[in-house]
Amino acid sequence: MKKQAVKKLTAVTLAGTMVVSMTACGGSESSKGGAEKAKIDVTFDQINLGEDYTDLEADLKFLTHKTDVIDTTFQSYIEEFQKTYPGINIEYEGITDYAGDVTTRLSTGDWGDICMVPTTVDLDELENYFTSFGNYDTLSEQYRMLVGRMYNNKVYGIPSMGNVQGIVYNKKVFEEAGVKELPKTPDEFLDVLQQIKDKTDAIPLYTNFAADWTMNAWDAYIDGCATGQADFAHEGRVKGENPFADRGDQTGPYAVYNILYEAVSRGLIEDDPTTTDWEGSKGMLNNGEIGCMVLGSWSIVQMQQAGEHGDDIAYMPFPISVDGKQYASAAPDYCYGINCNSTEDEQIAAMVYIKWLVEESGFESDEGGISAKVDAPFPETLSAFDDVELLFDVPAPEGEETLDNDINNESELGINVSGAIPKEVLESALDGSMTMEEMSQEWNEAWTAAQEKYGVTH
Amino acid sequence: MSREKSSFVKWIQSGKVNKRLCIFTFMLFPMLLLIVFTYVPFAKMFQFSLYEMKYLGAREFVGLQNYLEVFSRDDCFQALKLSGYYIIASFVQLAIALWFASILSFKVRGGGVFKGLMFFPYLVCGIAVGFIFKFFYTRGFVLDTVLQWCGFNLDQLPYWLKDKSINNISIAATSVWRYMGQNMVLFIGAIMSVDDTLYEAAAIDGATGWDKFRYVIFPSIKTIVVLNMILAITGSLSVFEPPYVITGGSFGTGTYFVIMNELAHESQKVGLASAMAIVLLVLIFIATMIQKFIEAYFLGTGDKDSIRYRRRQKKIEQERKEAVLAQAKGGM
Repeated sequence: MKKQAVKKLTAVTLAGTMVVSMTACGGSESSKGGAEKAKIDVTFDQINLGEDYTDLEADLKFLTHKTDVIDTTFQSYIEEFQKTYPGINIEYEGITDYAGDVTTRLSTGDWGDICMVPTTVDLDELENYFTSFGNYDTLSEQYRMLVGRMYNNKVYGIPSMGNVQGIVYNKKVFEEAGVKELPKTPDEFLDVLQQIKDKTDAIPLYTNFAADWTMNAWDAYIDGCATGQADFAHEGRVKGENPFADRGDQTGPYAVYNILYEAVSRGLIEDDPTTTDWEGSKGMLNNGEIGCMVLGSWSIVQMQQAGEHGDDIAYMPFPISVDGKQYASAAPDYCYGINCNSTEDEQIAAMVYIKWLVEESGFESDEGGISAKVDAPFPETLSAFDDVELLFDVPAPEGEETLDNDINNESELGINVSGAIPKEVLESALDGSMTMEEMSQEWNEAWTAAQEKYGVTH
Repeated sequence: MSREKSSFVKWIQSGKVNKRLCIFTFMLFPMLLLIVFTYVPFAKMFQFSLYEMKYLGAREFVGLQNYLEVFSRDDCFQALKLSGYYIIASFVQLAIALWFASILSFKVRGGGVFKGLMFFPYLVCGIAVGFIFKFFYTRGFVLDTVLQWCGFNLDQLPYWLKDKSINNISIAATSVWRYMGQNMVLFIGAIMSVDDTLYEAAAIDGATGWDKFRYVIFPSIKTIVVLNMILAITGSLSVFEPPYVITGGSFGTGTYFVIMNELAHESQKVGLASAMAIVLLVLIFIATMIQKFIEAYFLGTGDKDSIRYRRRQKKIEQERKEAVLAQAKGGM
């Protein structure tokens, strides 16, 4: 009898623990809904640096993609910051495959206090993971490029800096090739590349195909740069009919990809795109072995530091003119975001540190970008952009905040995500398997089908 | 109380309970790890495959829609064709491994060093192997230089990763390089376990090297050969690391797994990618069953003779019986 009882008891206890542990697993998911989350009242613009919260104490964990400067630049930031805020400790954690890893970690809720908001978070999901910095209307008086991480008029990410879209090139190579004036149209640009090929030993245009993300960079030029419309991404591309069609006047997304197509088919790029080396390419541009690369302004500093000829590195607007005028999109780099699961003190401390980073650290000029502050001057490296109109992102129309992502994902064209289009262009141009017309037709079909799925009709 | 306690101790120490307790406690952690890290995630993945979902955000139940899409898309099964390259490569790899194993399992000068050198690539992590070969195949780098020493002109040489007619072969070759040594070590282990007297007997009968391999070594290690073949073929269906690291799936090298990864991480179609994974699992299952059957039919498993052999024996037996019967009848 007794044996039986003990047996039963063990069985029941076991079953009990299993049930408890099972429900515990299920339970954590629902608690993410956030009934007991700490909400802070203070907004980003209300903080007076050096005056408010100087006695606040908190330990912050900061997830960053800038793995190269954690032990150097970032440590000096912390030192400088702690002169005013001795109670706030910051610990950086660098993540190499940032976008991918952080998306997974975000879903756990327990990842740290500050991170660079990954673009994989849909706008309507932002409030489930991040603390609001305040209302867009008030914040936008002092800061720019906020719309990328905004939902329902609330801002969930402050840009660490902004990038301008253009082309990084080697001045000396252009001079040797006899280029007097910077090209303003696709044809002029292709002529310049041809001149470089004919007159110098340099590779005219280096695509860095094997690095993969470098192809993705091309997608950034198809909106503002190629059309002169700040809202082209939301209107012309997301809702327009056949956005990839040839416009016939060397503007629009087609023109951007056509530059790549022509450059590849005329042999103006590297010999073997499958074995390019990103780290090596920086030094090659610096030495004058490469003419130019299509990359955002963030690349300027890296190219300058990659060798002894930093002075030769310059930056020019993308060679597309709309009615005789050139435009350049300016877009935020990664934005700082605060974990809404942290305690109140941690959230406030995080906001103070972010404000200090944006206003006083000088991070953006160290990186060669433009500041998130409205009145900050442009850095010297962007002098070629004097006559170019900068286009800042505009907010997506209300109710359509996720439309771009949805259609983009559904169509699998991966614009600004995977670089699927530029990669296809390069491959097709190399072996001549498809013409630009055929490809653009395919893209339009995929895009239109995705538009229909999400209720966009023409 | 003390009497009771002692009876509990006695009870727990009693043979039957003790044995069960041992089994239970020893099994607990392996089972727990297996369930938590294999079966629960798998069940989750199966659940995901029935939804239209992203990593973050709302999910929508769509039933078998994802599976239908896997079969109606042209890129998924197109990518499986690439497995052909890897399957052929795996046969080459097994053949080379078997050849080296039959040589190195006998006394050879420097055998240990060779074994070590050939096993070494298996110890290098797959990502590193990818980077090694990316540079190896770069125009004018290692492979081209070596071939130039052999008298080739750089202009005659193809672009190993750009040229669509050979880039899959180039990449499949890297996995031959990596796994050949491992297969070889397994084969050596199996060959070592063959009874020495068999070789002696074979030698006395005047067997040549090939005869020894054909009639002594191969029948003794056929189980391990088949095992390696199954592993190689299932591996060929699910190749990921080499094409992902070396070419990123560009220029027609995107295998099933690479496409799956793109769908899941770049287009955020997690449901569809999960469905692809389940479909691949079923395919691997079928491939393994077919192989198992072929093995049982032609080679036999373990101590059992092959089905073909047994059927033949049966037939012969039956014929003999019939003959005996007929004779008996005739005798009457």
